[in-house]
Amino acid sequence: MTSLTDRYVAATLRSVPAQRRDEIAAELRGSIEDMIEGRSAAGEDAGAAERSVLTELGNPAQLAARYSDRRLQLIGPTYYLVWERLMKVLLSSVPPIVGVVFGLVKAADGDPGGAVGAGIGVAIEVAVQVAFWVTLAFAVMERTNTALNLPEWTVDQLPRDHPNRQITLPDSAAAIGWLVLVIAYLPLQHFWSFIPARDGGNVPLLDPALWSFWLPFLLAVLVANLGIEIAKYRAGRWTWPLIAANAVVNIAFAVPVCWLLLTDRLLSPEFVARFEWLGQPDNLDTVANVSVVVTIVIVLWSITDSVLRCRRNPA
Amino acid sequence: MPTDEILRIHLQELRRGTVVVASLVALRRPDYGYALLQHLTSNGFPVDANTLYPLLRRLEEQGLLTSEWNTEEKRPRKFYRTSDEGETVLTRLLADMADVQTSMTALIEGVDR
Repeated sequence: MTSLTDRYVAATLRSVPAQRRDEIAAELRGSIEDMIEGRSAAGEDAGAAERSVLTELGNPAQLAARYSDRRLQLIGPTYYLVWERLMKVLLSSVPPIVGVVFGLVKAADGDPGGAVGAGIGVAIEVAVQVAFWVTLAFAVMERTNTALNLPEWTVDQLPRDHPNRQITLPDSAAAIGWLVLVIAYLPLQHFWSFIPARDGGNVPLLDPALWSFWLPFLLAVLVANLGIEIAKYRAGRWTWPLIAANAVVNIAFAVPVCWLLLTDRLLSPEFVARFEWLGQPDNLDTVANVSVVVTIVIVLWSITDSVLRCRRNPA
Repeated sequence: MPTDEILRIHLQELRRGTVVVASLVALRRPDYGYALLQHLTSNGFPVDANTLYPLLRRLEEQGLLTSEWNTEEKRPRKFYRTSDEGETVLTRLLADMADVQTSMTALIEGVDR
């Protein structure tokens, strides 16, 4: 049976470069024996002494790393900030672009139903691939000590933004992306609600009668909302005019929607008839009431949030 | 009142480089790993075995130590010794430590005045 020392030395040598192994093994074994002897001489039992000595030397993988001057980190401080920056730039651009393009191609191929899911799936796949390969490349550079030869940092690189910027680019980009989706969905739902009609084709989700006035009006309000998002990003913070405009736009959207919901004019009759449960007047009322409450809460929250943030961080 | 942990970290930082200097001084007289460890510890330079052994190898690779296997005793031992190059580096390191001490004294006295 091999002793604990044998196993310890073997475990250490496993990750030490081969050409130095024998010498390190001989020296390490000798040192361990010296240490055990020292403890035994002080009256410790031989078995216990061996255990304490090996415990003192610690994890063999760590000791081996010290012998071979290996770094115990995937990406160290030399490369970390460059890695982080590159990841942010690539992950925020490549997967969405590839996903959208893939989704559009899929939709053009005559499969609009699967386009959104397929686009998201591809975007996630691309994101995982990008993250993996970028990280791998940096981990290799860390181990080979590759020089990056990047220009030194200068004061000219300081951001020109207001130092107290509240509205960050990711926030604004997410809000704008969401608005664009909703704006695109309003006309799309007329053709592709994904709810098959009895006679083939699709049942529109919203009442087509609203196209005479209310749907174009809501679209205009959403476009105005888009403008506010852009103005807000440019200002970098909530200002009282922005809060007022935001409140007006929110109310301009919420009031017609609530009123249409309560008078049963928002959803298309065809769509309501398509679902037996929804067809019951009581149930339809419940859906309308809940939707109205949710809409009001969202509007109030949006307005309150803008006021609070403005007061917390006055210009 | 700093916590023990903060104090420990700063002491460790302060001590880090001194192990190299102490080893180069002690190895003017050839010695092997474990004996050096004990010698340093008993002279007020406590050092972990898993730090010292790899450090000796690194100093040898840098040419600051030379080594020789001694097979006369009951088990073969690798004896390290400060090389000429090591002695040159050591002189600079000791001078620098003295400089640090001088500067620190001046700084302390300057503040007190």
